[in-house]
Amino acid sequence: MAGCLVVFASLNQVALLKRALYREGVYVEMLRTPRCLSSTGCSFAVRCQPADMAPLLQTCRKWKIEPGGIFEETGELVSLQYRPLDLDKDEPAR
Amino acid sequence: MIYLDNAATSWPKPPAVARAVRNMLARAAGNPGRTSHHLAMDASIMVQECRENLAQLFGIANPLRICFTANATEALNLAIKGVLSPGDHVLCSSMEHNSVWRPLTKLQESGVELSIAEADACGVVDVASVERLLRYNTKLIAMLHASNVNGAIQPIAEIGRLARERGITMLVDAAQTAGALPIDVEAMHIDLLAFPGHKGLLGPQGTGGLYVSEKVDLRPLKEGGTGSDSNDPHQPLYYPDHLESGTLNLPGIAGLNESVRYLLRRGVAKLARRKAVLTQHLITRLAKIDGVTVYGPAAGLPRAAVVSFNIRELDPVLVATELERRADIACRAGWHCAGLAHRTQGTQVTGTVRFSPGPFTRMSDIETALGVVTELAHHA
Repeated sequence: MAGCLVVFASLNQVALLKRALYREGVYVEMLRTPRCLSSTGCSFAVRCQPADMAPLLQTCRKWKIEPGGIFEETGELVSLQYRPLDLDKDEPAR
Repeated sequence: MIYLDNAATSWPKPPAVARAVRNMLARAAGNPGRTSHHLAMDASIMVQECRENLAQLFGIANPLRICFTANATEALNLAIKGVLSPGDHVLCSSMEHNSVWRPLTKLQESGVELSIAEADACGVVDVASVERLLRYNTKLIAMLHASNVNGAIQPIAEIGRLARERGITMLVDAAQTAGALPIDVEAMHIDLLAFPGHKGLLGPQGTGGLYVSEKVDLRPLKEGGTGSDSNDPHQPLYYPDHLESGTLNLPGIAGLNESVRYLLRRGVAKLARRKAVLTQHLITRLAKIDGVTVYGPAAGLPRAAVVSFNIRELDPVLVATELERRADIACRAGWHCAGLAHRTQGTQVTGTVRFSPGPFTRMSDIETALGVVTELAHHA
């Protein structure tokens, strides 16, 4: 499995993004940020397909919501791994 | 029952409101921001939906700038105490409710300067009189949109424009107008909008909110758990977390979400026109009853659906009791938590009887009430 995980400070931001994207026909999953990515304690994240990153980031810009980090997610449960993505350089695996 | 006390709290509510409250308690009361199971996540989506519906109703661009509170009083305290510091000057009208008058009076003890713009005999403040009272250190204009005593509507858009031109923050107390009259924060130049959920918005008690423009930053009234940045000892700076600590009133917000959806479907302006017809009829007929004094704007002038009156020297409390005994009419009597407004309209000694029709009031209800008032006036 290879997906993208975008971390945000607050569930309120994530809920806004989920509803805004849903209206555009994009489904994203809301989840608690994994501990290894939560540098400041509780936070929430959006999991999405690589193809949905563009509308997600566009929606972030529209609502002035700054992601706390963007990661490529691979593996499952105990083998989950996260690689920071620099979207200017990296292309998420498809 | 004939319910004419919608200015205190609206009743009945649209049936979907009670259903939503019940459903949240019975099936879906997860705590958003604290965990990630589906009950909590679903609740967060509902809360966000409510913010979006409120934003649509009030012309607010960013729903995350709406913070939920327990009522309008909490929202007003949050706004007033979050903006003002010692040495600042604040201006309000002489028609304010205690939820503005008392916090401002309290802040005077700590060096905040207060000016009060006097309203005219109808209860309306003149924009020029507001302008004359502005000072170099005026930080805030705090003003109610419509009086809970006599329904007088303040020229908020004009005063808001003045505030915007002078760089002054404009706080509007929409306790009597949120959901009852159209409000557009952009067109009316409102920086802070405090509203209750249980009056014109037709939601449950224990709900309310504060809109905070992106031009304004507030000190929180309380700090605590927000479900975000938990290891940081400082309160988050992003909204609404900045002002929303502690578990939200989810059953209340679920009910409020349904009531706001109802208002969006029916249209606030359309409902307001219907209430205006009832209110104008009420004023016109009351004024014709011998011995009855009606306060506030005269018939034909704009006003909220709030009508205060007295019958000769009769104690308003006894009049209200008699209205209930004779025809099961529920209304409010006394001073309506607004001593300053009563002082302004000259009823600080007597208080008044207050009728406040709502969206479900019928013309036959008004006729019945008028009939009982006529009887009481005849015998007084």
